[in-house]
Parts: sequence; C-alpha cells; structure tokens
Amino acid sequence: MSHAMHANKLTKHYWVWPIAWYLFLGGLGGGILFVAGVLEVVYHVGHVLALGTFVGVALLGIGSFLLIFELGQPKVFLRVFLSGTAIIKYGATMLVLAMLFGFVFFLFYLPPNWNLFYYGWTWMRDLSAVAMLVLGLGIMVYTGVLLSTMKSKPFWNTPLLPVLFTVSALSTATALLGVLAGQWPTAEYAEALAQKASQFIGSPYASLEQVEEVVHMLHLADSMLVLVEVVVLLIYVLGMRAAGNVTAKAVALEWVSGSKAVFFWVGMVCLGTLLPFFLYLAGGGAAAWAAPLLVLGGGLLLRFMVVYSDRRCAIPGEERYYRRLPQGDEKFFRPWKAPY
Amino acid sequence: MAKTVDIHAPDVEVKKSCCYFCHQNCGVLAYVKDGDVIKIEGDPSHLTNQGGLCCRGNIALLHLNHPARINHPLRRVGAKGENKWEKVPWDQAVAEIAERLCAIKAESGAEAVATAGGTLRTDDWARRRFMNLFGSPNSFHNALLCWIPTFMVETAVSGWSPFETDLGESRCVILWGFNPGASTMPGMRGYSDLQKAGLKLIVVDPRFSETAAHADLWLPLRPGSDTALALAMIHVIIYEGLANQEFCRDWCIGFDELTEHVAQYSPEWASELTWLDPDLIRQAAHMYAKNTPGNIQWGCTADQLGKTSGAGMHARAVLRAITGNLDCPGGDLMPGPSHYYITDEELEANEWLPEEQKAKQIGADKFKLTSWPGYQRIADVARETWGKAPTAEWFCEAHGPSVFKAILTGDPYQVRAMIVSATNPVNSYGDAKMTLEALKQCEFLVVCEYWMTPAALYADYVMPIAGALERPVIHNNYGVTDHLIASQRAIQPKFERRCDYDFWRDLALACGQDAEQWPWETLEEAFWYVVYPIASMGYQFESYDDFVEKYRFFYPPMHYYKYGANGFSTPSRRVELKSSILEELGYPALPTWIGPPENETDDPEVAQEYPLVLTTGGGFMPYHHSEQFNITSVRFLRHEPYFTINPLKAAELGISDGDWCWIETRRGRIRQRANVEPSVDPRVVFAQRGWWYPELGPKAPDPYGCLRSNVNVLSSVDDEHCDPIGGSWANRGLLCKVYKVGHRDQVDTQFSIPGSSAQPGVTVPPSEQRLAYEPIPFEPAPGFEVPEGLAWDASTRMAWDVERGLAYDPGSGWLYHPETLVYYDVVTRYAYDPDRECLVDEETGVRYHLETREPLGDDAEGGERL
Amino acid sequence: MTRYAMVMDQRRCIGCQSCTVACRTWNELPMDIIYNPVVTEGVLGVFPHVHQTFTPLICMHCDNPPCTICCPCKASQQDPDGIVWVDETKCMGCKVCVNSCPYGARDVNAAEGFVRKCTFCKDRVRDGEQPYCVATCHQKARVFGDLDDPQSDVSKLVNSLQANRIFTELGTDPQVYYLPDLGGVK
Repeated sequence: MSHAMHANKLTKHYWVWPIAWYLFLGGLGGGILFVAGVLEVVYHVGHVLALGTFVGVALLGIGSFLLIFELGQPKVFLRVFLSGTAIIKYGATMLVLAMLFGFVFFLFYLPPNWNLFYYGWTWMRDLSAVAMLVLGLGIMVYTGVLLSTMKSKPFWNTPLLPVLFTVSALSTATALLGVLAGQWPTAEYAEALAQKASQFIGSPYASLEQVEEVVHMLHLADSMLVLVEVVVLLIYVLGMRAAGNVTAKAVALEWVSGSKAVFFWVGMVCLGTLLPFFLYLAGGGAAAWAAPLLVLGGGLLLRFMVVYSDRRCAIPGEERYYRRLPQGDEKFFRPWKAPY
Repeated sequence: MAKTVDIHAPDVEVKKSCCYFCHQNCGVLAYVKDGDVIKIEGDPSHLTNQGGLCCRGNIALLHLNHPARINHPLRRVGAKGENKWEKVPWDQAVAEIAERLCAIKAESGAEAVATAGGTLRTDDWARRRFMNLFGSPNSFHNALLCWIPTFMVETAVSGWSPFETDLGESRCVILWGFNPGASTMPGMRGYSDLQKAGLKLIVVDPRFSETAAHADLWLPLRPGSDTALALAMIHVIIYEGLANQEFCRDWCIGFDELTEHVAQYSPEWASELTWLDPDLIRQAAHMYAKNTPGNIQWGCTADQLGKTSGAGMHARAVLRAITGNLDCPGGDLMPGPSHYYITDEELEANEWLPEEQKAKQIGADKFKLTSWPGYQRIADVARETWGKAPTAEWFCEAHGPSVFKAILTGDPYQVRAMIVSATNPVNSYGDAKMTLEALKQCEFLVVCEYWMTPAALYADYVMPIAGALERPVIHNNYGVTDHLIASQRAIQPKFERRCDYDFWRDLALACGQDAEQWPWETLEEAFWYVVYPIASMGYQFESYDDFVEKYRFFYPPMHYYKYGANGFSTPSRRVELKSSILEELGYPALPTWIGPPENETDDPEVAQEYPLVLTTGGGFMPYHHSEQFNITSVRFLRHEPYFTINPLKAAELGISDGDWCWIETRRGRIRQRANVEPSVDPRVVFAQRGWWYPELGPKAPDPYGCLRSNVNVLSSVDDEHCDPIGGSWANRGLLCKVYKVGHRDQVDTQFSIPGSSAQPGVTVPPSEQRLAYEPIPFEPAPGFEVPEGLAWDASTRMAWDVERGLAYDPGSGWLYHPETLVYYDVVTRYAYDPDRECLVDEETGVRYHLETREPLGDDAEGGERL
Repeated sequence: MTRYAMVMDQRRCIGCQSCTVACRTWNELPMDIIYNPVVTEGVLGVFPHVHQTFTPLICMHCDNPPCTICCPCKASQQDPDGIVWVDETKCMGCKVCVNSCPYGARDVNAAEGFVRKCTFCKDRVRDGEQPYCVATCHQKARVFGDLDDPQSDVSKLVNSLQANRIFTELGTDPQVYYLPDLGGVK
C-alpha cells in the first residue's frame, strides 16, 4: 500500500519520467523523420540520412514503449486504438504510421542483398519521404499540443508550448542528424555500392562531398534553430512569469528564480542553446560532436522540466488540506492493511 | 455503488441497528447476509439522524472486522506491559478473575476492588448491579467531566436537570461551551434548520468553532471564565429588570438574597476575567432574556473547568429559572424519570449496597454532591416526588482520580484491583502520567476492550467486548429521561466477543452471586424487562426485537408545567436559587465566584512563567475521545495532532504553521503541531484531546505514544484544583507556555501527587474557596543519572555542560554539541573523531585512545597511527 | 430528460468530512483515492472578526467535460443524464483525463491502474436513491436532483441568486453549484 500512496493531488505528478522521455524521443524521432523527409524531397539527399532515419524510427519505438510502460495497465495498451477521437489517439496513430514509413524509407538504403526493394518501386520511397515529412511534423507538434490543451494546467495551457516543443524537436533532430549523416552507409562503401546498385534503385549513394554539404547545411540550420529556441523559451517562461494566473506564475518563478532556476538558466539557456550556437559557429569537432550533444541534452531537460511543471490551480483551501493529509510513509499505515 | 455486495438480494436481511461511537446513537440500517453484516447505511427513518452518519458512523464495518480487534479473552503470560498473552476460553477467564476478586475482597474488603468506565459505551447499570452485590462503592466513570455534575447541581436547584431543550418553540438558545458542529452532528442540523426559521443562536466558545461560525452572537471568552460570564448575565438580567418577576415570585426562593449577592458581579467586573467587552455581555443577557422562551444548551465545558465548575452550573441553573424558561413550551424541559418503562436505577440494586460500604466511597468526603452524600439526598427528594430516583451509576460515584491516587499511595486505603471497561484512562482521565503509573502499579487489572490500549497493555486479563453492530442498544440519556430509543443487534458477536452485560453477569455468577439476582440471560431479555411496561400505553409487541422493529421510539405524551401540581422536586418544592441541598453539604448556597484552577489574577507568578491560556477537551472530527485513532480510514483525515495558536502570538514565538511544538504546563509537556490561524485570541491556545499513536507499539516509557501528545499530561487532578461540589477537574483555562520542539527532546513521564485525602486539598470552608489555591511547583526530575560535573536543566529536560554548552545524551552516555552534533567524551570533554575513531582535545589537537583515554603517542605529523 | 446536478450549501457545511469517509466506505475505495475532499479556507481575518469557508469538492460532472474528449479509449464518458464516469474495463490508465481535470476529481491507484472518479453513485441514483454522500450528510448541506425538473430543490437553488460554481472561466460548465456562506458572525 504505502509505496503507492501519494494523497496530495496538488503535488502529485501523474506523468513522470517515462512521459518526459517519450515527449523528448517522440519530438526527436518525429523531427528526424521530418528533416530527412524535407531533405529527400527537396534535395534528394535521403541516402546521406539513411542511418539517421533508422535511428529516428528506433527512437519513436523506444518512446512508444515508454508510453506503454507508463500506463496504469500496460497489458491492455491496444485499447488506445479501439475507438475515440482524442489527441493522444491521433498521436499514437501518427507514431505507428511514421515508424512504418520511416522503416520503409530506410529499407531502400540497405545493401543490395538485403534490400527488399531491390527491384525498384522508387515511388514507394518518395511516398515514404512525403509521409515522413507530414507525420514527423505532426508528431513534433502533437507532443506539445498534448500538454497545451490541458486547461487544468496553467503552465502548459498556452499555444507557445507546441511552438517551443516543435522548435526544440527540430533543433534536437537536426543536431542528431548532423552527427549521423553519412556515418552509414559510409561514403566509400556507398560509392562502391553505387557501382552495383544505382541502376536498380535509381538513386545514387552519398559522396563525401554530399555528406559534407548536408552536414554543413544541418549545422547551419541547427545554429539558427537553437537561437529561435532560446528566444521562444525565454518568451514562454518569462511570459508565464508575468502571467495573470497565479499558478502559472508560481511555476514560472520556480524556473526563473526558484528550485529549477539552475536547470533553466545554466542547463537550458546556456548549455542547451547559447553555447551550441557558438560551438556551431566555431565549427570543427565542437560543431560535429559537442554542440549536438548539448542540444540533445537541452531538449531532454526541457521535456523533464515541463512535464514536472504540472501544477493545477488550487481551489481555496486545497493546499492546506492536502499538505496535512498523510503522504503514505506514515507509520500508522503499516500495522494493518488498508482500508482498516 | 456497493460493487462487491448486493444489498437488495432476497437473502439479505435489514436490521435496525445503531451507531455506538458517540452518545447520539444514530440509526443504522445493517444489511445482514448469512449472519454477517455486508453493508451499513444511515437509517433515513430514524428521528435522530434522518439517514445521516458521520465519519465514525460510517466505519462501523471496518470496526467490526478490524484485524486489530481483540477477539478472545487474553491472559497475561509475561511481565506487566510486556505484551505477551495467551488465549483462554471466556468461562475460564471469568472464573479466574472471579476467584482473584473474591480473594482480594476476603483479604481487604470489597472496596479494594474498583471499576473504571469511560463514556456511555456500555450498559453500566449491570456493572453497578455487580458492584452493589459485590459490596464495593468504588465504581466510577469520566462522568465528572461530562454532564453529571451539571445534572446534580441543577437537580439540587430545580428538582431535575432542565436539559431537554424544547427547540421547536424556542426563540433563543445559548450553546455554552458546546460545539455540535464537531461533536453532535444531528443536533447541529437542528440548530441550522431552526436558525433559518428565526432562532437566535448565542455561542460561548473561546475558539471560532464550527458552531461559533454560525452564531448570531459569539462570545469568545477567556477559557475557564464561564462562571464569571454567567454571574454577570444574572446581574444584568436582574438589575435591568429582565427577570421573569412572576415566576421568580411564585416559584423561586432566594431571589432577594440572589439579587443582593450578584450586585458585585457587574459586566465590568466580569469583563476583566472573561476578556469580553461589558456591552457584549449585556447584549448576550438581553438577547437571552428578551427572546423567551429560550434555552441554555449544556456543553461539556460546564464540567471541565475545575474548581470553578460547580458555581458556573449553579449560575446557569439560576439563569434558566429567573427567565422563567423552566418546563415551559420552548423552554428547558425537566422530563423526570420515566414512569412508563423500567429505569436504569431500578436495575441497579442500590438497596443491596450496605450503608457502611457507601461510606467508604473514595472521594465522597471531598466531592459530596456527585457521590453518596449528595446523591442520597437528591434521590430521597426525587422518590418523594416521582417514586423513582436518578441513576446511581454515573450520578453517584467514586472520584476517579482519587482512586488512581489510592492505588499509588494507599490513601485512604489500598485499592488492589480494578476492572476497566470501555475506557482508555491514560488518555481520558486527568494527569495522564499519574494514571498510567496507577495502571502499571495496580495489583490486579482487568480490561474489557475492543483494542490493545495502554491500559489493556498492563492488564492481567483483557476481555473482548462486542461492538456497535453486535449488541442491542437502548438510548435514554443515562436513564434520567422519560423517552427511549431502541435498537437491535444486527448480528451475534463475532469470535468470543461478548456484551459487557454478559461479562458482568458471568462474573457475578462466578463470584457466587445468586442467579435469581441476574434473571436475564441475555441483554435482549433484560431490555424486554425494561420496555415491557410500555405495553400498557397501547403498544403491541412480542419481544424486545419486535418492539424495535415495530416502534423503535417511545416518546411519552408531552406535559409542560409539571411543577404546577406538586411544585419542583426540591426540599422546598420551589426552585431553590439559594440551594438548601448545597448548603447542607457545606457549599455556598448561592453561586459564588471562584477563579479557575490557574489564572492570571490569582496566580500572577504562574502566569509570568506560563503566559498562555490553554483550552482543550473539545471534540473534533473525526475522533470521539481517544477512539478511532487506530482506524486508518478515519486516522487518514487527521493523522497528526494540531493545536491552534493565533498568528500574532505564533509570529512572536517564531512558530510557523505545521511546526512541532511543546505545550507545557506546570504538570508536564506534550508535543503537537501548530495550526496557526486567528480562530483564537492571541493569549489562548487550543489543543486537540485524546491523542495516542496505536501504531507505535507498546514501547516504554509511553506505550502506544500515549503520553507524547496527550493533553491530559497537562491537566491537574489535585484535590484543590477540582470542583469541591462535583469533583470535576479542569481541561479548560490552564496556564501554559508553547515553544518549538528541539533536537532529541524526550517524552515526559514525571509526575507528583500533591494533596491526598490524608491531607485533603479542600481544607477551608467553601465560602473561602478562593484562598484554597496553592500553586504547586512542577520541577521535573531527570529520568536518568546525571554524570558528575553536569547540570540538570528542567526547562530543556536535559543535562548540560554549561560552560562548554554541551548537552548530555543519556542514551549513549556521550555529550554532544546541539548545533554541530559533534560528540564529546563525558569524562575528559575531548571531541570524538569518527574518522579515526579516537578522541581529540580540540584545544591542543592531541589525540587520545577511545577506551583508555591515553594519549596516542607522537602524532604531531598527523599520521595514521592509532 | 434528466440532468443530475448537486448543490453544496456552504452555509450549512461544517467541514466534518463525514462525506469523505462515507464515500470511501460505501464505494470501497483504496486508501489514496478521495472522491469527496472537504477543504477549508481560513480561518481568515483578525480575531475575533474572522470567517472560514468549507468547500466540499467532488467531480463537477461538467456539461463540457474536458476529461471525456481526451480519452483515447472512450472509457471516460458521459451519460445522457450528465453523469461522467469511467468504464474500468476500457481504461488503460494513460492518465490524460486525470491531468485534464481542473478540479482534481480523478485519480489512479497504482495497484489497480485504472482511473477512478465519483459517479454520483449512479447505481443508487438510478434506483431512485440519493448519492451516498448526500444521504450521509447530517447537515443536509448537499442537495442532489434533476435540473430539468423545475420543481426539484436543485432547480430552485441553482437558479437562485447565490449559486456559484468553480472555475467557470475554463468553459467546463460544471454542474456542482455552491451556495457560499457569507462568513463571520452574523
């Protein structure tokens, strides 16, 4: 009994770390598919991002697993598809479809012996790319919308939250893609393969120049994105700090000058966005490794901070009521089993 | 929703049971299937509760099936307090108890056996019957804190206590020290309804209680000063011509003397004592006296003011009388004993108790009205009037605290055995530390209980008692009213539980009492005997159960102005404002101001040390007295004790909401958490009563945490603090101080017994009562041996090295610094270095061996040698 | 049609919390689930001029419940008579509805995994009885009934001058109404 007790409904976090990871991984995975889809559709460089796409799909899978793990009754998670029109259901559907299309897309870049689409069907790859673009965008936005529609949670209930999550999803996705771009298939391997395979699948494998070009493009994009992100983040949090809603304001105060201030200013603003910006400008190893890692860390921190900022507006008297209720570890719960 | 059970299934029987967790006895419908109760709900057709049930009522099923309930007789096998028991069959346990009691009776007389009760949770006419036949006058309850002295004083003045408020016709009611909003829910509903219809509600309460919140006029007086308020109200009513002249002339005696006597008690005089504005007192007097008919509703406070209680009761009795509110429509009705059914008194067999045994009743020499001397006088007059007398159980008892003292001191004689039934005396009687010690020292202790309580822990036998749903119940206000509400058993008691009636009857027979003297084998048979005469009123029923199912309620025809025919049931047949009975017993005949046991005016030096006024004893939801603390579903709501303190005072003392604090009086100290809110005067703290922690287990020195937050550690039962008339001790208006709990503070178990009957506290005539007060210094002694060179500080309860500011930890035998928490050797004062496991002289830096205290040799370089 | 609603008469409520316990025992709730908290605002003011307000909380059975549309499984649903409830055989415990409720009326017990909430004792109500918290209230501070019946007590009280609701600005259209105590000594 006691391990499960947490009677304070005002401070109880109904969604905890798996959801934070889920929102992070969902945004990241969705962002990767979106960026890969865009680059493929516009520049036809999907082959540079093959590994990234696979990682994006995997991350969505891990995220979905965490979502299921977090359910009260994980065994019956399929109920999500039974009926209903809820946001979370749209999200789940998009996740499944995005993983499917992403995986199909990825299959086109397997070595020929493994490539199930050895015999062509490039339209399917193009379709997948477009689907990834659309679904990836949907997922990124969805992770924010899921929270921002909660009228009960003043700190979440703002249209800026989906904007912030989308920008953060894009920045983290761009960062990770920058790391993974051209890592596999490697340029040499790809060129060797291209000799054999190009006639079958109608798309060249990556050249070293292409990889460099794409990575440069991603770095440039990400350096812009983190700037946008920090601006949106500051507008969001400082806007809440000035909000008329006392609960939103109280939470924002925690971020700005309270218990979460270090994480916010140092973790998110400095290390998660500003520093990567300069590292990207610096280029070299800093841009290739340090900046993306910092951006990813910042994105994860953002999801945790937001998920744990789920305070509900207290009805007058509620705070003291719940503060004085037992929290579950009191001795009097132990001698005999509840409800006695 | 009733997910797991279907109460509408054809094989489910509905029983008209009742709640048994306070005196209201709200109606409960019990759904019984296969001999077990599967669900309960409030009985919508019951007149008292109309379907309502409070927190307590709703947990009846949890109570019935609670895993911690005592289900079999237990015999102690270890040492007292060791909590080692063996189960013995009921009959064997009863036989062994009887054998022991009879042996004690043979050696020391029957009076060496006492019985303690709590509040009404039992059929204690049976207990009285046993005690009378056994020959001991020493049974007692917590009655002296709960209505009984009020009843007796009012009966002495008016012939019967006018306690039944005829609210339907009333225009004004004073709820005096009464908070039905937290203790008498059905009553509160009535007040709320009637208030809507125009009833004026005056609430006298130092705290902004649930009830005060709804008052038309709230009098937040100094706790304990109620008597002054009542006297000033009499003054206003008489001197402003608001008294009912006709009634006073025709039906009262002593009005002129009273008029002269209360001249001194002006509102201005009372203002200093009560902290109330004189105009507020006048306003209250006007509201009450002008809105007749009106009522004064009794509240427990009346009986919990210590030595000022009796005068206050008398004053309120006078208030009712001079406004002509006695026994009139809308007034305070005086039902008298029932003519239509057998009263409790008739079941008690008081005539079998020999006169010489009555004289041995402990406390009867000191507190005469509520023991044999006063009761006998009142009962004689009542018999003349009605042919029946008030119940002797409750109304004529030994003085409980004096019995506990007698166990410890052998004064006036050694009480050797005690049967404790339906009470947890450590929490409910005054001076908890002394009471706990008495229970420990009692030679032979039997406890009839639901649970393992601190009292049961020290018992030789613990007997399992049937609870609410397992017993039939008759509700008739301790047997001193004329109506009756009957409820039936829902199921037979589970396991080896029995009703307390069965216990007393079985014990009586085992003690050799005649079976003919106990003709009713079951409680239903006894109740059948009680209600049977009602048949003469045209009621038709076959058995007690049949009566419950068909009628359940018996309200006799209403008669107002009963005094019209034969006068009031007093020696003079008039309302004796100047009471001849009180005068005969040696008490002031007119209500005379006596200050509360401790107060700023009489004891300024005490007030300097203890500047706050403590009030406690008030009921608060969800508990009733010390009950339900072990029921998680109830405890959940308020799992920790809180005392209320005004924000201004709290700020001054550096106390924030939720801080654990000590509340200390001259008797001892307890800890509760601070509830900082402006519901009390900055000079007042209100502490919750009843607290113990069943979950803490039987560990000494305060088993089940029965002392650490128990307000009765703070109260005094010294004779000179008790009301000389009725023996009440004080829960309200004690002087205290409050401070935050520090590190390692220990539970307080020290006590002393000043004043006993060898040198009784009441040594001056009642007229000079105000001089009887002697402050008793409370200087707790250390509970451990104080090592040489250390000084014992009573205020912190710790031994100190004053010079270095080091405190002594008796558990480890080390000194420590309260802030740094560094330990120091008690002999050398060297600091303990936990990293190197050695002692260090902080001044020189030299290290010493932990055991031998020898220097550790050449260690100047700080090497690792040991 | 029937539209169930409840009125909390704060002029009568004394904060005894009987409903809290009654609800728990009648509905056999786990220890950490409370459908019926009674919260207290105050005591506020400066002694002796003080006041306090008792607010019994419960599911508001909103006309526009945020907790049903967000349910991906249609477990959280509203019946035509306005009662919002959770079908535990459909719930997977995603807790979206718990987070979406501005009144804290929903909770999950970790051992059970599904979402629990007050159902206005719908089994009792549809048998023609009162919800148990209403039946058990000594003070008769709760009034339950059909808003569509103009003669019902709730209709009269809800349409009185004093009826307030909590968080109406969120657009939930709650159907539990409060008759506030004016506070203090009258």
